[in-house]
Amino acid sequence: MLHAVFFRSPYPHARIKKVWLDGVLKLPGVVAAFSGESLPELIGPMAQIPLFGVERTLAGNPAIKYFPHLPLARDKARYVGEPVAVVAATDKYLAEDALEAVEADFEPLPPVIDAEQTLERPEVLLYEDWGDNVLMHYTVSGGDVEKAFREADRILEITVPSSRFTGTPIEPRSVVARYDPHHLLLEVWDTTQCPHLVGTWIERAIRIPGLKTRVTVSRLGGGFGPKVSHYPEEIVVPYLAIQTGRPVRWVETRSEHLVGTTHGREQIHRLQVAVKSDGRVLGIRDRIVADMGGGHSWTGLSSIMVSALYVPGTYRIENYSGDLYGVVTNKTPFGAHRGFGKAEAAYVIERVMDSVARELGQDPIEIRKRNFIPPEAFPYRNATGSRYDSGQYAKTLDKALDLLNYSHWRAEQTRLRREGRYVGIGVSVVLEPTSSNRRGAGGYYSVRMRMDPTGTIYVFLSGNDDGTGHALPTAQIVADELAVDVINVHVVEGDSLMCPYGTGSYSSRFGGLGGAAVMLAARQLREKILEVGAALLGETADRLVLSAGSVRVRSAGEKQIALNEVARAAYTALYRLPEGMEPGLELIYHYRDPNVTFLPDERGRVGAYSSFPYAVDAGVVEVDVETGSLTILKYVSVHDCGNQINPKEVEGQHLGSLAHGLGGALYEELLYDSDGQLLTQNFKDYLIPTALDLPPILIGSTVTPNPFTPGGFKGAGEAGAVGPPPCLVAAVEDALAPLGVRVRTLPLKPSSLWELIREHLDRVHSEGGKA
Amino acid sequence: MKEKDNDSSKKSSLMTRRTFLKGGALTTAALSTGVLGAEVGEAHLALEDYPSALKRATVTLKVNGLRHRLEVEPRTTLLEVLREELQLTGTKKGCDRGQCGSCTVLLNGRPVYSCLSLAIEAVGKEILTIEGISDGETLHPVQRAFVQEMGLQCGFCSPGQILATVALLGKNPSPSEAQIRQALAGNLCRCGAYPMIFKSVQTAARLR
Repeated sequence: MLHAVFFRSPYPHARIKKVWLDGVLKLPGVVAAFSGESLPELIGPMAQIPLFGVERTLAGNPAIKYFPHLPLARDKARYVGEPVAVVAATDKYLAEDALEAVEADFEPLPPVIDAEQTLERPEVLLYEDWGDNVLMHYTVSGGDVEKAFREADRILEITVPSSRFTGTPIEPRSVVARYDPHHLLLEVWDTTQCPHLVGTWIERAIRIPGLKTRVTVSRLGGGFGPKVSHYPEEIVVPYLAIQTGRPVRWVETRSEHLVGTTHGREQIHRLQVAVKSDGRVLGIRDRIVADMGGGHSWTGLSSIMVSALYVPGTYRIENYSGDLYGVVTNKTPFGAHRGFGKAEAAYVIERVMDSVARELGQDPIEIRKRNFIPPEAFPYRNATGSRYDSGQYAKTLDKALDLLNYSHWRAEQTRLRREGRYVGIGVSVVLEPTSSNRRGAGGYYSVRMRMDPTGTIYVFLSGNDDGTGHALPTAQIVADELAVDVINVHVVEGDSLMCPYGTGSYSSRFGGLGGAAVMLAARQLREKILEVGAALLGETADRLVLSAGSVRVRSAGEKQIALNEVARAAYTALYRLPEGMEPGLELIYHYRDPNVTFLPDERGRVGAYSSFPYAVDAGVVEVDVETGSLTILKYVSVHDCGNQINPKEVEGQHLGSLAHGLGGALYEELLYDSDGQLLTQNFKDYLIPTALDLPPILIGSTVTPNPFTPGGFKGAGEAGAVGPPPCLVAAVEDALAPLGVRVRTLPLKPSSLWELIREHLDRVHSEGGKA
Repeated sequence: MKEKDNDSSKKSSLMTRRTFLKGGALTTAALSTGVLGAEVGEAHLALEDYPSALKRATVTLKVNGLRHRLEVEPRTTLLEVLREELQLTGTKKGCDRGQCGSCTVLLNGRPVYSCLSLAIEAVGKEILTIEGISDGETLHPVQRAFVQEMGLQCGFCSPGQILATVALLGKNPSPSEAQIRQALAGNLCRCGAYPMIFKSVQTAARLR
């Protein structure tokens, strides 16, 4: 097996004048090396939008700029870490040795670091022929925004930035490829959340007529979004296997991961909010600038659109307009990250609710309750075109406040403040749209199901497990529907040849879509089993039931036949089946999502998601005003994902995503210096929560079933990543209310808080020392 | 390479293993663990020294009770030898620089990061990996506890978490939650399964 290593741009923005590989090719063990400049002609540009690059109107009226994005940079490098050349050697150590001999002549260019600034003044261009640095412009509006502002008692102006952070699965990315030239079959083992899409992308980018792929994902060591994006290594490593005729492997290092795997979240919203004096939010105008980094990642484009679509959140805000700019900069490309755009939207609207409460001198909880979409309004069509399935926001909020013991802590807060301690309470209510089905990326989930002559049931899922555990809930659903033990159900996933085509695992779409598909497939299989059973028993199918591994007559328990006998007959005794019945017990079921709209209307409105779980977080924090350090005294989170297939897994997903959200609120930060260098390239600088960091968390749930899916399921596993940032920022501002501190950026690290506290002290000082 | 060196705009790649080793980090790590012997010098190689880099040392490693005689480059990490030479892929590589804990193995019962240990350091020590803790098909009590309490999600960090737990319980049979957190502080779990991991450790303490 050969080992591939990548030579990456050390510059954020540079012209690549020349890359020398001659010396490299002479080194011990080196078998192949090429650069973007000497890119083999068989390699074409990478797919840019989920499938075929034909979806030029991702929604409504966006202008998306397209350009051929080669897997190895040619002419220009646009972020630190962008692959420029590749070396394959017989041994990984030799490959890394050889990497040091790669010589490249770069002409550094000034980096573009600030998205808002370059939108206003595009002095330096990443793509010269564009004329600006705008990758995409998208607008969406609903209701009558102008009227809302005319009727407002107050108009608030609020700015909410979200900081750059990302998923960092502990398993880095890796690609292994092997080529069989006789069958033109490329076998690829990849750490992706979308094996079928990767296969399609490879077949498009490597121009060998008749090329076939088999993409396999074995157990994924965590996904969290970044493994949804499409990466250069997914083209280059398979190509090396073709070129050399030998299996090739590439394993990402951690610092490669932090510079070369997509980032998330960075965007800034500048809002105007029309408010009545009773606290009702009548309308919002939002101008969003998202920092897309220097590549072209479809998950990034998709993600920022979601931010524009879901700012109204759980509130009845009928008049909304979003004006979104996706701007390229010289940073790592923006891509999917647990919370996918909705995290930013939820953060924004929760900051808005807290600001409204503060400006009107009202209780933030009452403000939220006044604006909630009430339970009787569901299904509810929101201002941007989504039909929310169900929700009982006030009930869930009350449950969270009970768990927190809210009134106790309000009293404690007053008491402790008298002792000079700064304790605050924050609440966040976050919508977590799941099962994304935008045009070009799904709208369906397919399942193949087969009962073998032994009675064993094989279930082939179109989405692979990204480390969250699909096999057990799948087996549970099938076992329930067919009255068998889970041990008889075998779930197969993550193999593009064996499994039905699917767009992958993202957007928490297993619960809402996959669960429904599995359930309906199992029911179809049950019908067939009963029909075969009826023929064998001389009964009619409507008199039969499945029970404990048998088909039996509903009323008379003694007349029955074991499932494996039914299955055996279905495959081997066709003469016992009714005339015309298809043999076998195998089917493919395609579940088409009933609650999405694919094409946006003239105002950009689109029902991009089909199920709408949500969570309410409430937390109590104490800030040490001497040091800026933050202690979480209590944290609760109550979520609602409809009916839960496996409550223990859901609990794990919620607690785990809370850890992720707490990381983003407290520690995680992808920090660039003014030269465009990423300062946080390892886990000593990019801090994710350790066993010591997590506060004790109390979780609970309410159950509001999804009326649109069989089983009543919604997705789960992202809400926890969304709730903590707005909750903790609110709690910190509440704690520091006597100082009038407003949090500007995340994470809430001691140095930032201390800075804010010091600004207050300076202010007091300059005003003459009245503390 | 030499004639091109005077142009400062020419850059080699980002931090590599070699520059890392050359940059003194190895010496620091070695001093702090106090385990490196005379072989240290082998790791300080210049690009011109390729032939000597390829010199191999013959070592005998005792892994999970079995002795393996191997020829390794002196600069090879224990992690690489376990995964690549011995095919013991239960030990994971998450960061390769001692920051995540996925590569945790036990050396004489002590948890160490195998990515920061050279294979040649492990000579004469009992190396225990995740493959070595069960008794045939019978899982180790710590493994049973992790299964019972669902002390994992994706499972990538689990071998490290489990071995760190085995080491903890070896010296402290009934740890408090604070002691558990402390003992597992070097093993990152990005799935955030910590609450279930802590519960698994407590259950393991009872099962042993």
